Amino acid sequence: MRRTLTSRGAKLTVSAVALAVLSGCASVSLEQNVDRVNEEASSFTEKKLTLSRTEQERKERAEAAQALLAKPLGQREAVQLALVNSASLQALLAQGWAESADAAQVGRIANPFFSYERMVAGDELEIGRSLSFGLLDLLTLPARQGISRYRIEQSQLRLTSDVVDQVTQVRQAWVRAVAAQQTLRYARQVYESAEATAEIARRMQAAGNFSRISRAREQAFYADAATRLATANHQATATREELVRRLGLDEAQAKDLKLPERLPDLPKQAMDPQTAGAHATRNRLDIRLALSNYEAYARSQGLTTVTSFTDIELTAMRNTNTDSASGSRSDPRGYEIGIRLPIFDWGGMQRDAMSARTLAAANQLEATVRSAGSSLRESYSAYRTAYDVARHHRDEVVPLRKVISDENQLRYNGMIIGVFELLADARDQVSTVIAAINTEQQFWLADAALQASLIGRPTNMALAAAAAPAAATPGH
Amino acid sequence: MTSRRDFFKFAGIAGGAVAAASVSRAAMAALPEPVMQTSPDTMAPLVPNSGRPYNPVVTLNGWTLPWRMNQGVKEFHLVAEPVVREMAPGFKAHLWGYNGQSPGPTIEVVEGDRVRIFVTNKLPEHTSVHWHGQRLPSGMDGVAGLNQPAIQPGKTFVYEFVARRPGTFMYHPHADEMTQMAMGMMGFWVTHPKVKNPLIDEVQRDFCFLLNAYDIDPGSYTPKIMTMLDFNLWSWNSRIFPGIDSLNVGLNDKVRIRIGNLTMTNHPIHLHGHEFLVTGTDGGPTPKSTRWYEVTTDVAVGQMRQIEFLADEEGDWAFHCHKSHHTMNAMGHNVPTLIGVDHRGLSKKINNLIPDYMVMGERGMADMTEMEMPLPDNTAPMMTGEGPFGSVEMGGMFSVLKVRRDQKPGDYKDPGWFKHPEGTVAHEYEGPLSEPARFKAEGGQSMPRVQAPSKPTEVKVRKPQSHSGH
Ligand SMILES: [Cu+2]
Repeated sequence: MRRTLTSRGAKLTVSAVALAVLSGCASVSLEQNVDRVNEEASSFTEKKLTLSRTEQERKERAEAAQALLAKPLGQREAVQLALVNSASLQALLAQGWAESADAAQVGRIANPFFSYERMVAGDELEIGRSLSFGLLDLLTLPARQGISRYRIEQSQLRLTSDVVDQVTQVRQAWVRAVAAQQTLRYARQVYESAEATAEIARRMQAAGNFSRISRAREQAFYADAATRLATANHQATATREELVRRLGLDEAQAKDLKLPERLPDLPKQAMDPQTAGAHATRNRLDIRLALSNYEAYARSQGLTTVTSFTDIELTAMRNTNTDSASGSRSDPRGYEIGIRLPIFDWGGMQRDAMSARTLAAANQLEATVRSAGSSLRESYSAYRTAYDVARHHRDEVVPLRKVISDENQLRYNGMIIGVFELLADARDQVSTVIAAINTEQQFWLADAALQASLIGRPTNMALAAAAAPAAATPGH
Repeated sequence: MTSRRDFFKFAGIAGGAVAAASVSRAAMAALPEPVMQTSPDTMAPLVPNSGRPYNPVVTLNGWTLPWRMNQGVKEFHLVAEPVVREMAPGFKAHLWGYNGQSPGPTIEVVEGDRVRIFVTNKLPEHTSVHWHGQRLPSGMDGVAGLNQPAIQPGKTFVYEFVARRPGTFMYHPHADEMTQMAMGMMGFWVTHPKVKNPLIDEVQRDFCFLLNAYDIDPGSYTPKIMTMLDFNLWSWNSRIFPGIDSLNVGLNDKVRIRIGNLTMTNHPIHLHGHEFLVTGTDGGPTPKSTRWYEVTTDVAVGQMRQIEFLADEEGDWAFHCHKSHHTMNAMGHNVPTLIGVDHRGLSKKINNLIPDYMVMGERGMADMTEMEMPLPDNTAPMMTGEGPFGSVEMGGMFSVLKVRRDQKPGDYKDPGWFKHPEGTVAHEYEGPLSEPARFKAEGGQSMPRVQAPSKPTEVKVRKPQSHSGH
């Protein structure tokens, strides 16, 4: 290419533009990302999320983790621990940073192209220098900066949403682990009762008071109870390990992990639908994400109309021609505009794709808005049902079993029932307690799901029917 | 145990019984005023002040219904109604009965009396009264549907007949009979002889009671009316031991006891210390040639037995049904036998689950009376009764015949525990013990078994032993 030279004024213009481009560029830092997450999801993170990059920061996180592990870990503390300790959360943050940085890139102008040419033809030496910009790049910069902001926004919203999801997983894992541990304790009681029953039956047979079949019947329950205890044991281990993974604990930390004895008490009152609705309408992550996506597409659509037609390049040139034979020297300057001819591709497909994407984003937004209400209603229903069921168990089912138990004790005292029936009833009571723990667990899982739903990260929550305690088989 | 004895005068009827205020006097003007009884205590005999004279009976934990003479006819008024019956101290049942109690009051008449009985139905369903064992016009027999329309709630019917033969009778409904009998509707009827009957002796004490049974779940009040045979309360006049009064007599009194059975099973009634004769059945006095002495007589279902004896042995004598579970109160029918089952190490384990658990039955059921543990509400312990030497460990159909030298004629007061003459009470032997010589049977079985058992049965008889660990 032969380039002509620009004037001095043109040179200045180019520099000014370049400066403007550089200074007006969208940029994003890690701190911004993390702050944004902490801001958006403050109810989840309590603004304690940090990404550590230095050894010092890592050390601080480790110390904070150690402090949290010193005491039995409540649900809130579990979340805090995950925030400071979980490598996968850290990975998520780093990932989010990368995404934001990529998005910021869109809003920047491509670096100017500098070329240097040195040509010798006989006595003639021609040195060509050119600095070229994509002219359109420059012209569309403000538009692209807008798009870039949306992309950054999206990446930050996505990051927040992922953090919310992770935190919800931590909460639910914690609930499962505590409940499983509680259940295990009661399964052990059932087992002990069954063991005592089997032992009495054995001694009954030894004393000649029981036939083999009567003893076998009592022993059968013991055999079942052993299976159930083993399963409960595994369940406690599995849920604990799930929590360990969610918290990102290493082996030493896992050893230190202590869980509270029991799930927290049910709240005195369930959140009412009005409160839930009020939380839900503003600032839902999913809606904002869809909205931002749509706006980014809508904005880039106009841009594409231009960019799909042409690819215009503006090149500033300054050549130096030296003729050693004549001793003359000239410095031609000028500029060159190159345009890609839309002969084969008039950009129609690109424009079609763009409008299709915008249309898709618009519909996606509409779909998100519509399903947001529905999924929230479902989450609330799951939450409310779980609350009512858990309360019913606490206030009705368990006290009723207690009455039955008390009365059975009295009946045993009066020799109206025997020891086997008394023990069978004790097992029934324990099963009821286990069922009640299940309902509490369901509630706390639903609670975590609802929290996530409110902020706009719908989490599936299938309510399991509360297991009815197995019917007693009194020792007849 | 003593204050109720103050009623033992005829005046007691006026004091212990109250007129039914709830029955409109105007509506009842033509009827004898119904007399109600609020107390389950044994009332003094009702000495007749009108009509032909007779020697009245004493209804165990019951009373006799007063009557009025109306132009030579003896008029009674029975009110069928729901009642609360104290079956034992601390245990009340919601029953149906007559005039405030279950069973209803005893009706006493004299052979040849024309009797008119008004029956007012205050139950929620219809009823009727069958006069069990009486000779009477068919239309007075009281089988609802067969002899008469049922007495609807709120209605009053009148029965009238002549008490033709002397003897021991009962009355009970013959409409929805299973329900109404299970609920306690029944009463005693005694027809005294008009003139000296060679088969009916004069007696100084004449007691009567009905055998009845209920199925009341411990902790509840109303009997289960669908129960057919598996009753859990075996009662005399809807009372269970220790709620049954003792039969207090003077030394050398001639005593008659009349027993009617309205349960669904037979009861071998057994008296200690004396032999008795069965002098009457449902059919009336027994011929002398058929009488023989015994100490137990079986009273079959729907039957009456009159036994007589001379109370010539001083002391406290048990008097009870000989079916041993009939001398028990509510108890479990499926409680496993724990005799000889070592509980060492187990109680603690069970206590972890059931803090109030105590081992019972390792030595037998008597454990129960020793521990005094709380029972369900409104229940009498399975076996109880504190005697002068400890718990008698009884329930249900059990009472005591108290024969006392100083019991005045006509005085039915409880004289308290018997003071045994020196050296007449069984006591611990403190001399040397020698190993008893065991007898080895000479004979064998009548026939050998065809199929021999594969291995000999090993039986270990556990001798009582004490060990700790409870
Ligand atoms: Cu009996």
